Amino acid sequence: MPGIIGAFVEIDSAVEAIEDLRRNRFNDLTVYTPTPRHEFEHALEPPPSRVRIFTLIGGLCGATFGYWIAIWTSRYWPLVVGNKPIASWVPYTIFGFEVMVLIGSLATVFALLALSRVPRLTMTVGYDPRFSGGHFGVWVATSPDRAKEAAELLRKHGAVEVRHEA
Amino acid sequence: MATTASQYPLNGQRPNIPSAAVRLPAVADYEQVDREIIGTLRPTLGWFTLLGIAVLCLLIGITAWMYQIYSGLGVAGYHPPVMWGVYIITFVFWIGIGHAGTLISAILYLFRAGFRTSIYRCAEAMTVFAVMTAGLFPILHLGRPWKFFWLIPYPNWRLIWPQFKSPLVWDVFAILTYLTVSSTFLYIGLIPDIAVLRDRETNPVRKAIYATLSLGWRNSDREWRHFTRAYLFLAAFSTPLVLSVHSVVSFDFAMALVPGWHTTVFPPYFVAGAIFSGLGMVFTIIIPIRKFFRLQHYVTLNDLDAAAKMCLFTSMVVGLAYLTEFQVAWMSGNKFEQEYFWNRVFGQWAWAAWIMLLCNMVLPLSLFSQRLRRNPSWLFILSLFINLGMWFERFVIVVPSLSHEYEPWQWGSYAPTFVDYSILLGSFGWFFMWFLLFIKQLPVMAISELKEVVPPKRKHPHPDEFEHSRDEGIAHPFITGEHELPGGAH
Repeated sequence: MPGIIGAFVEIDSAVEAIEDLRRNRFNDLTVYTPTPRHEFEHALEPPPSRVRIFTLIGGLCGATFGYWIAIWTSRYWPLVVGNKPIASWVPYTIFGFEVMVLIGSLATVFALLALSRVPRLTMTVGYDPRFSGGHFGVWVATSPDRAKEAAELLRKHGAVEVRHEA
Repeated sequence: MATTASQYPLNGQRPNIPSAAVRLPAVADYEQVDREIIGTLRPTLGWFTLLGIAVLCLLIGITAWMYQIYSGLGVAGYHPPVMWGVYIITFVFWIGIGHAGTLISAILYLFRAGFRTSIYRCAEAMTVFAVMTAGLFPILHLGRPWKFFWLIPYPNWRLIWPQFKSPLVWDVFAILTYLTVSSTFLYIGLIPDIAVLRDRETNPVRKAIYATLSLGWRNSDREWRHFTRAYLFLAAFSTPLVLSVHSVVSFDFAMALVPGWHTTVFPPYFVAGAIFSGLGMVFTIIIPIRKFFRLQHYVTLNDLDAAAKMCLFTSMVVGLAYLTEFQVAWMSGNKFEQEYFWNRVFGQWAWAAWIMLLCNMVLPLSLFSQRLRRNPSWLFILSLFINLGMWFERFVIVVPSLSHEYEPWQWGSYAPTFVDYSILLGSFGWFFMWFLLFIKQLPVMAISELKEVVPPKRKHPHPDEFEHSRDEGIAHPFITGEHELPGGAH
């Protein structure tokens, strides 16, 4: 979708612009910031990240697999020592724990990449290298008929540069 | 005292800096962070020299290993009863080194300890390279090292599986998990910083490499939202993991019925020792980096002070564990244990035990002095003693126990050969080669996290962000370490 990108030097200017844009029913906003800032989170009010669901499922699968592989292989080659149980859950907890951490961590990383939509081969329209430096970017995805209004709002709040991108 | 007034500017009081209140008063804006941290990536003659030395040490180690493979493990100085020696000692030593990285990057992250911000990247990289180094030693210790993969459970034509009740298999799982998770943690933290490098790089080849490694990261609010959550969960996973790994390593010893090994104090003792030794290596690495890259205004004296307090604490835990071992042997009524511990401090291996006690218990007590905690030169010297002491701690655990078991006819001795020493040297070459390559290719400090500490530009300045610059105490050179800056580099 085409839109307008505004570059800001001051963080509070960018936050005010976001709040004003949302008041004017521009809701498809993306903010570029060199470092995570709570000010933007408060202004954008995004839903909670779903990374935790992947982490939980990955951890549970890992713990299950860790216990299962140890128990299954013990029963596959049963070595009876002193009438002790063939599958010994105490040492097998090490495998349950380690594999839980391993698969849970990898699931977390997968969730980060999938939900953030990376890796990407090309930069998104509107991105500017300054946004990894000291500038803040506000991207407003909007139809051409409201582009002028969005650009004016961005300028009003102190955007040092406003560009139309398609 | 006459010096007190100038040393402690807060009306003679010692400063008490909350660890969460990290301040970088000599860093003005985000652009300065980018400029100065990216500036450390330029290779210098000194760096090439150090890299050459590291590669030379590695080649010596590789040559010795080739000789060992050709001639057999006998050339490594093993003979009954001491069949574990320098390799297992060095394995435990490097695993221990790796622990401080995760402590600093994960545990201190969960505790919101602000002083970790400037040192955690180095510590994390150190962890990954230390675990990579440690992982080589069990393989070096195999008679047929090319069969090492038999320890990994996979369906195979022999229809056999590893013995899951063996501590050696626990080790495989613990170390591979630790290596995977710590590498992942390091890389995930690096992605936004690599994106900064991508956006500043002018060389097209390097730019393409950075673009690939950054996965097209663009600093959007969506990416940061998931990134911060994922980072938190990885830290939460890494925290128990770091405690489990050295506990599992300690089981290699504690599960055996050998005097001096078969004790329940080993897991906490090993974990505390690992963190202590890792902090020693962090000082060994971070203090020269801070000095030669002129980053004193990022790694401030406050940061070193806080890390030195942790070092002191873990030293005291380790010291307590040493004393507890003696107490347990004394109170057990087991004459083999008693004889072993008597032999440890007054017998054949007394020299090694006293090096251990001096370096790990006595010298770190100097850190009760705030003046020494804030003295980078002393911290660096002390860190070398800690590295030495912790290597000898593992020597004292491994060799005296095996050489002095139950029956006098079993007693023996152990002397490392040039193959052992060469491979030990090679392990340092391997570790420092990777570390030196890392610090010239990727940011040695976390750019995006440093920016979280630096106040952003504002149209209407935020009152909290001015607090520290107005506060005479916090901004004083004594606190920030600015007085150390050569030629006013800040």
